[in-house]
Amino acid sequence: MSEIALNSTTTFQNRLTQWLFNPFMFVAGLPALSAGFAIILISGFFCWLGSTHFDGVLDCHIGLAAQWWIFPAEGLIDWILLAIPLFFFGLIISKSSFRFIDVFGTQALARWPYLITAVVMLPIANQKVSSYMIARLNQVQPVAAVNFTDIFIFALAMFVIILMIGWMVVLMYRAYSVSCNVKGPKAIVTFIIALIGAEIVSKFAVVWLLSNMR
Amino acid sequence: MKILPTTCPACSEQLKVKSLICENCSTEIQGSYDLPPLGQLSIDDQLFLLDFIKVSGSLKDMAGLLKLSYPTIRNRLDEIIERIKITESSRQNKREKNK
Repeated sequence: MSEIALNSTTTFQNRLTQWLFNPFMFVAGLPALSAGFAIILISGFFCWLGSTHFDGVLDCHIGLAAQWWIFPAEGLIDWILLAIPLFFFGLIISKSSFRFIDVFGTQALARWPYLITAVVMLPIANQKVSSYMIARLNQVQPVAAVNFTDIFIFALAMFVIILMIGWMVVLMYRAYSVSCNVKGPKAIVTFIIALIGAEIVSKFAVVWLLSNMR
Repeated sequence: MKILPTTCPACSEQLKVKSLICENCSTEIQGSYDLPPLGQLSIDDQLFLLDFIKVSGSLKDMAGLLKLSYPTIRNRLDEIIERIKITESSRQNKREKNK
C-alpha cells in the first residue's frame, strides 16, 4: 500500500473513531439538540412498540404496556436529570465560559445508542423470556413457554444492550468534556457523581411518572 | 516555504533569535532576542490564529470554516490563550530574575 493510501486510510479510521466516540468534536449546540431530541422521541416510539422502559439514566427494562407518551417522557427525564448537574459541575470546575445549549444538546445526542437498544428490544421473544423469568422468580406458572430461539434472541439483545450502555456512558462523558472544556480527574469524578445522582433521582422521577399518570 | 522552528529539536527548549539580516544591504544584527509571543506558538496554533483573525474573531464562522463544533473551537482557543499566558509569565519571571 502506498504511503498516501495508508495515510488516507489512517485518517479515515481516525475520523470514524472520532465520529463514533466523540461526535461532539463536529456537532454541538442547536444541531446536536435537535438531533438528540428527535432521537429521544423516536426511541420513545420504539419503546412503546416493545414495552421497553428507560426507567433511569442508564436503565433499560421490559415492562408493562403504558400510554404512548410515557416512553418519550422517560427518555426526556433521563436526559434532563443528567444534563442539569453536569451543567452546574461545569460552572464550578471549568475555567472556560461555555454555552447552556452545548451541554444540553450534546447530552441529548449522547443518548443515541439507546435508539439501537429500543430497536433491539422489539422482538416478541424478549418479552416472552422476560415474563417467563419473572413468573419463575415469583414461583407462578409462566403464561407462555419459551424455546431455544427465544432464549438466543434474548441473550443477543442483552449483549447488545450492555455494549450500548458502555458506549452511551463514553459519549456522555465526552459530551461533558467537550461542552464544558473539562478534563482529568476533576472531570471524571464530577461526571461519576452526576451520573450516580441522576440515576437515583431519575428512578424516583420515573416511578412517580408511572404511578401518577398511567 | 520554510517553517520557522520555535523550539530546540534536541531539548525542546524555546529558541531565541541570534541574528537578523537585511536582504537589501546585507546589514546583519547580532544579539539574543526573544521571539514575539505569537511566534513562540506552534505552527498549528499560529495557523489557527491566522484563520481566526481572517474570520473577524467569530467562533461560529471558525467552526464552519474548520468543520468542527463551536465548543471544540472555543476549547482550542482557550488552550492557546493558556499557552500564551504561560509564556508571558515565564518571560516575566526571567526578567525579574535578571533584575
